[in-house]
Amino acid sequence: MSHRYIKIGITAFVLVGAFVGLMWSTLREGTEYYKNLDEVMVNQEQWHGKQLQLHGYIVPGSIYRKRDSLEYKFKVQSNPARSSEGARDQIVEASYTGIVPDTFKDEAEVVLKGKLTPTGFHTDPNGVTAKCPSKYEVKSAGAGL
Amino acid sequence: MASLGTFLLLASFVTCSYAAVVSVAGARRRSRRLIESGIGAFYLICALMTAASAVIINAFITGDFSIKYVVHYSDSVQPLFYKITSYWGGLDGSIMFWVFLLSVFGSIAVYVNRERHRELIPYVVATISTVQMFFLYLMVVHKNPFQQFLGAAPADGEGLNPLLQNFYMAIHPPSLYTGFVGMTIPFAFGIAALATGHLDDSWLRAVRRWTMFAWLFLSFGLTLGMIWAYEELGWGGYWAWDPVENAGLLPWFTATAFLHSVMVQERRSMLRVWNVTLVIMTFFLTIFGTFMTRSGVVQSVHAFGDDPILAKLFTAFMVFILTVSFGLVIWRLPLLKARNELDSWVSREAAFMVNNWILLFSAMFVLFATMFPTLSEAVTGNRLTVAGAFFNKWMVPIGFILLFLTGVGPLLAWRKSSVRNLRDSFLFPVGLAITTAAVLAALGMRVWVSGLCFALSAMVIGTITQEFYRGGMIRRRNTGTDLLTAIVGLVGRNKRRYGGYIVHLGIVLIFLGFGGNGFKRDEQVLLKPGQEAKIGTYTIRNDGVKVSDDGQKQATTAYLSVFQDGKQIGNLYPAKWAFRNHENEPTTEVAIRRTFAEDLYIVLAFQPSDLATQTATLQMTVNPLVNWIWLGFGIMALGTGIALLPERAFSFAIAKLPVEMPASTTALTLLLAALLFGATPLSAQKGMGGPADQNIQSSYYARNEFEKKMQHEIVCTCGACGHATIAECRKDPCMTSHEMRAELATYIDQGKNRDEIIQAFITKYGSEEMLGAPVDKGFSRLAWLFPYFVGATSAVAIGFAAVKWSRKPEEATEAAPLDAALEERIDDELRDLD
Repeated sequence: MSHRYIKIGITAFVLVGAFVGLMWSTLREGTEYYKNLDEVMVNQEQWHGKQLQLHGYIVPGSIYRKRDSLEYKFKVQSNPARSSEGARDQIVEASYTGIVPDTFKDEAEVVLKGKLTPTGFHTDPNGVTAKCPSKYEVKSAGAGL
Repeated sequence: MASLGTFLLLASFVTCSYAAVVSVAGARRRSRRLIESGIGAFYLICALMTAASAVIINAFITGDFSIKYVVHYSDSVQPLFYKITSYWGGLDGSIMFWVFLLSVFGSIAVYVNRERHRELIPYVVATISTVQMFFLYLMVVHKNPFQQFLGAAPADGEGLNPLLQNFYMAIHPPSLYTGFVGMTIPFAFGIAALATGHLDDSWLRAVRRWTMFAWLFLSFGLTLGMIWAYEELGWGGYWAWDPVENAGLLPWFTATAFLHSVMVQERRSMLRVWNVTLVIMTFFLTIFGTFMTRSGVVQSVHAFGDDPILAKLFTAFMVFILTVSFGLVIWRLPLLKARNELDSWVSREAAFMVNNWILLFSAMFVLFATMFPTLSEAVTGNRLTVAGAFFNKWMVPIGFILLFLTGVGPLLAWRKSSVRNLRDSFLFPVGLAITTAAVLAALGMRVWVSGLCFALSAMVIGTITQEFYRGGMIRRRNTGTDLLTAIVGLVGRNKRRYGGYIVHLGIVLIFLGFGGNGFKRDEQVLLKPGQEAKIGTYTIRNDGVKVSDDGQKQATTAYLSVFQDGKQIGNLYPAKWAFRNHENEPTTEVAIRRTFAEDLYIVLAFQPSDLATQTATLQMTVNPLVNWIWLGFGIMALGTGIALLPERAFSFAIAKLPVEMPASTTALTLLLAALLFGATPLSAQKGMGGPADQNIQSSYYARNEFEKKMQHEIVCTCGACGHATIAECRKDPCMTSHEMRAELATYIDQGKNRDEIIQAFITKYGSEEMLGAPVDKGFSRLAWLFPYFVGATSAVAIGFAAVKWSRKPEEATEAAPLDAALEERIDDELRDLD
């Protein structure tokens, strides 16, 4: 009997070990930090080059699009435009090439996927997700995958 | 009207508590009247909830804007259809819709089973009522859909979110809820079985159909969600591993596992704890999924908002469910012991077990990955998110293993597959898979993930075809009809098995669609009028962008011409619609050109500055094979429908075997059946030429009273018939009962009596599972006690001997005169022993 339990024990150990190992390695590649803009701006250098999901709000009037192209430049701030803390806002410049969601406009709450560099935030292709400016309980359109 | 609605909800709550309490009291006191009263109250809840639903629908139709919920989710210009579907458009209403569905399903389940499963019913009523109480409580104290404005009511509503004004989205929630709520019924029966201790297979039989039904609607709901995402959200895909989607997928995994493992319990009396656990898990995951998406625990672009009170209530309820359910399971563990052990890893039950582990693992993995951001924030303080790529990295291989098992499982015999059985049944499917892989490689397929997917799909199709063909051939011989009628009859005779195969076929088509994803192409372009762009084999030309207004919405439409091989094959009109009151949230109207090979999928991204230049910014996607997913679901639904059909539906094709059949034909048929039907367990296991074969022709009909009596005493082990006796099991083709009858005939010919025959069956099948009635219980127990009896007797005897021999010699001499000769003999014998 004890022999059988040793076998089961070893099998279980190997399986669990393999599972944890796989999980750990895939998680390391697959995870991204989800950060609010102000959290990142406290210590910018620390986040340079890391894969980030950056949460913030678009600065009103900051969206520029290069003529006849899909290249965008815009600014993101850490608090909603009309909040009282507006004055102490952290602001970062962001760039993006591609199609933006319909809800991507001034004051919109956005989550950007990409990397922070000294020259600003480089957004990945399809990396812009915008929430509706008005509060709705229902699903809002956003770029998926 | 609103106060009437609130009153109805309160009345339902009170009635629920009454039904729950009275049912349990009735069951414990064995009072028929109390139980009946509980059932009556249970039906009453259904009536009350129907009335409450009528009130809210009426409020929507008449536009009663004094009710907050109506204002939030509808307006006066909305089409009638969407006014009605606004009922479940928001959280409050969807909770109410949930209770309404549960009360309807619960009443049907109780009504249908009230005689057959009399002992379970009170606890079923109590369980469902408790679940209803929770949701009603939620509404009454926190999310009342009938809540009114304290001040002046607005003149018009805000309107249903335009994204939800889509046919698929209108029917997606009811379908998903039907699936979710349907899972409560098996759970209630499981809890009732645990509470009463009636843990044989009868509760499983009561819930099998319910689970299938709920599973079908859950699948339907998930598919509709995918179609909606594909057509309405306009990002070119259908599944993004979003928490809201995952919430529906979690119980789907465990329900699928349950539908498979239930067969192992019916057939082999194994996995009893496992099955109860799966039922509990499935129900728990439906609640957990709702909690996850509705309480704001998981952050998602699609999440439904933040609600800490709701989160607390749900957490309390979930802890309650887990404590009570698993408490009952632990209490009843002694009754849930398996009656058999796994004989071999090369057997169908082993395949089912692996399938179950993998499905459960999938559920756990998706749960973990969905909760990962929340967990990581709680543990490390840093919110780490996982992207779709992470899910795919794990779920793609898991999907392949499941697909592989779908191909392998049906080919394996129960208990243990012989080498011969393996060779016979695997040759065709594996050959087909290898051929497919080779052909694809030769054609220059470079995406190996898709190639593997297609090869495995070919294997499953091979398996299913082979099963149908072999079964159909046997039946054709048996009934003398053509192959097609024979196959229809076959399906009718064993609807669950062949319906299941049809479901598998649907799954294969869905996997084909997933495999096509590997060839997806994606382009983002900006086209001025007259400019062209290429994607795949298509060329797209921008003919201009126009704006129009139809009163309800303003539409911006791009006029595109599509060319293939230099010829114009059609026009596409992707658009943006801005609805009244929702000007800031334009909806995307995707233009799709569908073919079975691929979809050309074009989305117009619109910026106001584009209008002046007539520029079209387009997201173009070519999605190969995507329509096979929807088709696959249709076939899955067909298969499930067949499995759910009542017995009578196939009467035209399932004519009984002709009674007076020439003996030689029967023998040949049965022999052929045994040869061809590799998947039928015992034929493969025992090999051919056993003693059974000589008697197989006479096996159907008992030759004398004794044989008849014995046929009614022994239960068929085929599992498909739900433990009918071998006299009754005429499932076609049930080789098991044929063989068991033949065996019985052999034993009778050998002149064995009843006990010897039963003993022979027990020796052969290793347990008493085939006995209609348990062997004479008292005798059985005595037999079981025998070793202990012998042991105890020996102990007493040794004690006596020890006392006797240790007596003083004078006492012994006193006794000696009584029988000197005996004394002498014993002395001799004792000496010999030394």
